[in-house]
Amino acid sequence: MKLGIVTDSTSDLPQHIIDEHGIEVVPAVLVLDGQPYADGEGISREEYYTRLPDMKEAPTTAAPSSGDFLVRFQRLFDSGCDHILSIHAAVELTAIVGVARLAAHDFRERITVLDSGSLTLGLGFQVLAAVQAKIDGLSLEGILDAIRSTRERTKVLAALDTMEYLRRSGRVPGAVAALGGLLSIKPIVELIDGEVKPIGAVRTTRQAGERIYSSLREVGPLERLAILHTNAENRAYQLMNELMDSVSQSIPRGILMVNVTTVIGTHVGPNGLGFAAVKV
Amino acid sequence: MGLDSPDTQKRLEKFRKAPMDGQSLKRLVEAGLTWLRTNQQMVNALNVFPVPDGDTGTNMVLTMQSAYNEISELGHRSVDDMAAAVSQGALMGARGNSGVILSQLWRGFSRGLKGQDVLDGPGLVKAFAEARDTAYKGVVRPVEGTILTVAKDIAAATEAGLQPEHDAIDVLEIAVKAADESVERTPELLPVLKQAGVVDSGGMGLHIILEGMLRHIYGQPLDTPVASVQSLSAMDFESAMQEVEEGQDFEVVVDFYPESELDLQSFYGKLEEMGTSIQVGEGEGMYRMHIHVPLENRYLPIDYIMDIGTITKVAMENLVAQMDEIDEKAKGDLIDLTSVEPGEIAVVTVSPGPGLSRIFASLGVAAIVEGGQTMNPSTQEILAAFENLPTDKVIILPNNKNIILAANQAKDVTVKSVQVVPSRNIPQGLSALLALNPDGDVEAIAEKMNKSLALVKAGEITIATRTVEIDGVNVEQGQVIAILDGKLVCAAKSVEDGCLCLLEKANAKEHELITLFYGEDLNAAEANHISDKVREAYPGQEIEVQDGGQPHYQFIISVE
Repeated sequence: MKLGIVTDSTSDLPQHIIDEHGIEVVPAVLVLDGQPYADGEGISREEYYTRLPDMKEAPTTAAPSSGDFLVRFQRLFDSGCDHILSIHAAVELTAIVGVARLAAHDFRERITVLDSGSLTLGLGFQVLAAVQAKIDGLSLEGILDAIRSTRERTKVLAALDTMEYLRRSGRVPGAVAALGGLLSIKPIVELIDGEVKPIGAVRTTRQAGERIYSSLREVGPLERLAILHTNAENRAYQLMNELMDSVSQSIPRGILMVNVTTVIGTHVGPNGLGFAAVKV
Repeated sequence: MGLDSPDTQKRLEKFRKAPMDGQSLKRLVEAGLTWLRTNQQMVNALNVFPVPDGDTGTNMVLTMQSAYNEISELGHRSVDDMAAAVSQGALMGARGNSGVILSQLWRGFSRGLKGQDVLDGPGLVKAFAEARDTAYKGVVRPVEGTILTVAKDIAAATEAGLQPEHDAIDVLEIAVKAADESVERTPELLPVLKQAGVVDSGGMGLHIILEGMLRHIYGQPLDTPVASVQSLSAMDFESAMQEVEEGQDFEVVVDFYPESELDLQSFYGKLEEMGTSIQVGEGEGMYRMHIHVPLENRYLPIDYIMDIGTITKVAMENLVAQMDEIDEKAKGDLIDLTSVEPGEIAVVTVSPGPGLSRIFASLGVAAIVEGGQTMNPSTQEILAAFENLPTDKVIILPNNKNIILAANQAKDVTVKSVQVVPSRNIPQGLSALLALNPDGDVEAIAEKMNKSLALVKAGEITIATRTVEIDGVNVEQGQVIAILDGKLVCAAKSVEDGCLCLLEKANAKEHELITLFYGEDLNAAEANHISDKVREAYPGQEIEVQDGGQPHYQFIISVE
């Protein structure tokens, strides 16, 4: 069986990994001043996050069209694939899974669409688990098990600079969004089964860094790790250095350092720091 | 009335003949309470810090009052049952550290009387010994030179001094003498007391309670304080506001210089005919008299004082109007608390001001107990907050070092699973609250909240209530003082200078965020003016200003 693997740009996989494994990535859409841009086009992540706080009109995001999926599905089948695995951002947070299912409908049993329940490398690591299982020659069932296992061992956590963007996004319950309405706070959020859950807050970036570090240490020995940030590269490197210095924890090779896609960053704001980690 | 007078001797004779049953104990408790209340301001004035801080006298009176309320309606009982009821009442009413320890003393006392119908000499000795043991066990790190030491010295002296022929009165006499001497020794044991030039307030309170019992037996008056003049700064009209009695509609304050030395006994006697809530203060020869009187008596104190001295100032306030204002203010403070479901974790916090309450509420607390520096909530009030929640998993933030013990005591009483996160001030309380992740094991969560207490530095700005040298800082009464993490660090001419000095001591330049919670003594414009100065001095730090609404403290400041 020849398996094609499709994901979307919210998986935040680096280009060299995408190229190496021939992963098809459907770009999500950023709507800036009423103009739709495919994720990654038109504006760099660095520039976007720098400008975001001062933008007059709040940017929004959108799912790709079903046509975007159809084109890629067709291409994979044309190149000889028997089956396609299409893994996407949490259904609670985006419409991407729904659009993928719509596009997959006509291909019936030949496409398996999966809701990862996650975002950024929390999704990306599930895609990589599928890639690895495919290389290892596992059956579709075996590949799905590998994805499930990765999903269960994954923790995605971030310290946001402000509650503002999340509140604006409408992607957290009202009661949570109102949290800290009087005092300025930096929420710590965890992505659990597609839900953005606040698990506390801090008031300074230093405290945020400490909290992310200690949360990461609590995960235990790691199989994979991505340090995620939204234009907070210095803080991301500082976190990595601290991890390197800590002798008590085994660190996986090939830590990814990712300035998160604008499609997600629109909803969490700049100067966020976090991680996606898969424990051993 | 002298102790050797025939009347006193006759009264003593009568007391010695009748067995000391539950009713006798009840009258002794009442006498202890009355005498303590009479001397309340004097005990309050024994503050180590020159700040309007956890008033020991008030806390102990309220604890004793709760103890007495529990027994006031009880009829004939054994001394065992009566003591158990006193212990229960003290437990529920315990306020502040001294109140909590007092309640533990009563608990031990009652334990020592188990199975006793009447109180005799050996029985009382045993009760004092049990009281000591129970109180020491209740405190994690007992500090000598406090009420604990006084309780210990009482137990030791009565054990050593007990003679076969001694009855309970003999033992009480030994106890009062031992308490008196022990209180005098407290500054030798606790350097902060010596430095501040005071004896321990809690120990003094205990001495006064026992002394009141003895005075009752001797037939001495309990409603006129012996040493009734306090320093001007120790006078606290605000707490008197909480005790306004029906019909006492006017507050009168008179400053005067007496023509000859003031005869305090007759001065008090006269004032008591006119009204209530009498306080007399003295500073450099000038006296200040405070009294609550009914409308028709409002000029009487002034006329009277005019006869005995020269009046320099008179102030008269309509208490009814003031009380209305307070009520009105309270009504405007509706706060939106987080509702919890059974099984969820609820956070209870103690808050001293409406602004702070609103901030705590916005961060997800489920219940707020009002209180703080000047009004420590009782075990009962904290317990009521626990019991009113629909869940049995509770975390409490006391936010004051004087409330931690009462919170622990409430935890011991309730059947709910309670974790006390010992926050010692507001910034710590907020920091702990932010660390809350309401999903998971309540103990593990409390542990995380505990760790976050160290993340902030806490500052307080207030006005010195007396002149003192403490922590190496010379403070003049009326000066602005700054306290950092419980230590007095600066005395300053203005609130602004106090803030800047505090921030320097807190090494604020090395931190990111300064949050200023301004108190009820400042308005938003004043607070903004001062925070602008702070902004100028700390351009690299974020400055946040919040309306805290706390009394007595111009600013509570967190540096993190």
